[in-house]
Amino acid sequence: MVFAIFSVFTLLTAAGVILSRNVIYSALNLVLCFFGLATLYLLWGATFISMIQILIYAGAIVVLFVFVVMLLNFEKPIDQSVKLPLMLLSGAGAWGLAFLLLRVLSKSVGEIPILESNSGASVRTVSKLLFSQYVWPFEVLTIFLLALIVGIYVLAKPEGEEKK
Amino acid sequence: MNGLDFLIAALKAIVILVAVIQVVPVMIYVERKVAALIQDRPGPNRVGPFGLFQPVADALKFLLKEDPIPHYTNRLLYTLAPFLSLLPACLVIAALPIADKAILFGREVTIQIAELDVSLIYILAIGSLGVYGILFGGWASNNKYSLIGSLRSASQMVSYELPLGLAAVGAVMVFGTFSLREMVLQQEGTLLGFLPNWGIFYQPVGFLIFLISSFAETNRLPFDLPETEAELVAGFHTEYGSMKFATFFMAEYMNLATMAGLMTVMYFGGWHLPWITDAALLELLGSQNLLCLVQVLTYIVKVSCFMFLYVLIRWTLPRFRFDQLLSLSWGSLIPLGLLNIIVSATLMYLIGVKQ
Repeated sequence: MVFAIFSVFTLLTAAGVILSRNVIYSALNLVLCFFGLATLYLLWGATFISMIQILIYAGAIVVLFVFVVMLLNFEKPIDQSVKLPLMLLSGAGAWGLAFLLLRVLSKSVGEIPILESNSGASVRTVSKLLFSQYVWPFEVLTIFLLALIVGIYVLAKPEGEEKK
Repeated sequence: MNGLDFLIAALKAIVILVAVIQVVPVMIYVERKVAALIQDRPGPNRVGPFGLFQPVADALKFLLKEDPIPHYTNRLLYTLAPFLSLLPACLVIAALPIADKAILFGREVTIQIAELDVSLIYILAIGSLGVYGILFGGWASNNKYSLIGSLRSASQMVSYELPLGLAAVGAVMVFGTFSLREMVLQQEGTLLGFLPNWGIFYQPVGFLIFLISSFAETNRLPFDLPETEAELVAGFHTEYGSMKFATFFMAEYMNLATMAGLMTVMYFGGWHLPWITDAALLELLGSQNLLCLVQVLTYIVKVSCFMFLYVLIRWTLPRFRFDQLLSLSWGSLIPLGLLNIIVSATLMYLIGVKQ
């Protein structure tokens, strides 16, 4: 019952993100949507993941979104006339992603174990799996992210600094 | 969960929340008195003995004033923002362990609203949402000064969450748990025979980083760049008046109380008195409820010391410049925090601590 309520809540706010005309309302909806997701994780007993969801996404990433939105200050709704190739490209990307997600979900449905909540188990489970079974994907991802950070720094570095 | 459990849970939530809200009037009085002391003037002294009823007068004024909404603002977000700011400040209190156990209706009741196994991350996560109140408040005000104030606040709070988290990781490594209650339970007794067994002696650098970051997280001087009076009128709450302004104010003081509570719990032994174990104290007092009362008082005294420190620093140190503020976080505190983790981990490995 609680699960159903929060699923609907998450879906509604997710719809709100893309349907809002005002970008600030989209951001607000996004925060609420992440809250809904965090609650769903909580109901599965994954307290750690649920808290990290709020800490990282709602607490940091959306703050940066809002930051950028406020700096750019979209007063008017964004121009609706989009070029056809762009539309096709983004459509293909979205459908591809949806297909991928559907494949992954259809394979894993029914396998989501409900962890014993409130026992510290979830933190230990996550970290043990991360540093044993999934250590290679984890390390590859870290190197990938590190490369991204260095790349962003190089791109964003002011030109004048190199002359010093 | 039967009726009695529900009653106890509700009672705990209400009593603790109402008790923590009392921080606000007390802090208004203390802040004004200490400011007066430092600036060599009498401070509030007209309302009641020693001006003690001044906070009541302030609160009445806030409640009775007209509550204007300027016509150029975004009504929805303008009204919502103060509550977005206060709500996380109230929610985080749920995870603070204030004392051990009391006997209530023949049951053992822990003095902590919610016993989460990840209570530390819960506080950091929900606490980080407080920034939305400031961000939306500044944006909805439709005022350049407010907007600059809230943008500053966003970059400041995001920057200082990192050293805060890194400092907390050090404490998590030492105690081997994310549960604040278990952290406090581990800080009983003495260390090396003469020191209290408190987290600060395991994580001195972590504590310093945490303390400095907590000033920035709560937008207190010397880091109150979001509301610099000299540059931005009053920053993000320029357009706010009466009770809406007071709501922002309450949120700030409650965040302060939470940060002080976190430091007490992580680094200063929580409810434990130094040098004496709970078992010995129980024998001395003879009653679990009396022991609980002593623990609550200990906790309050420790938190009050931190709150006093906050006030003292506010009135003694000048404000940072914004670039100095950011370079302090990214240039010094974050590398120091990472170093602290590496050094702690190495030491723990060498000593042979196994979690």
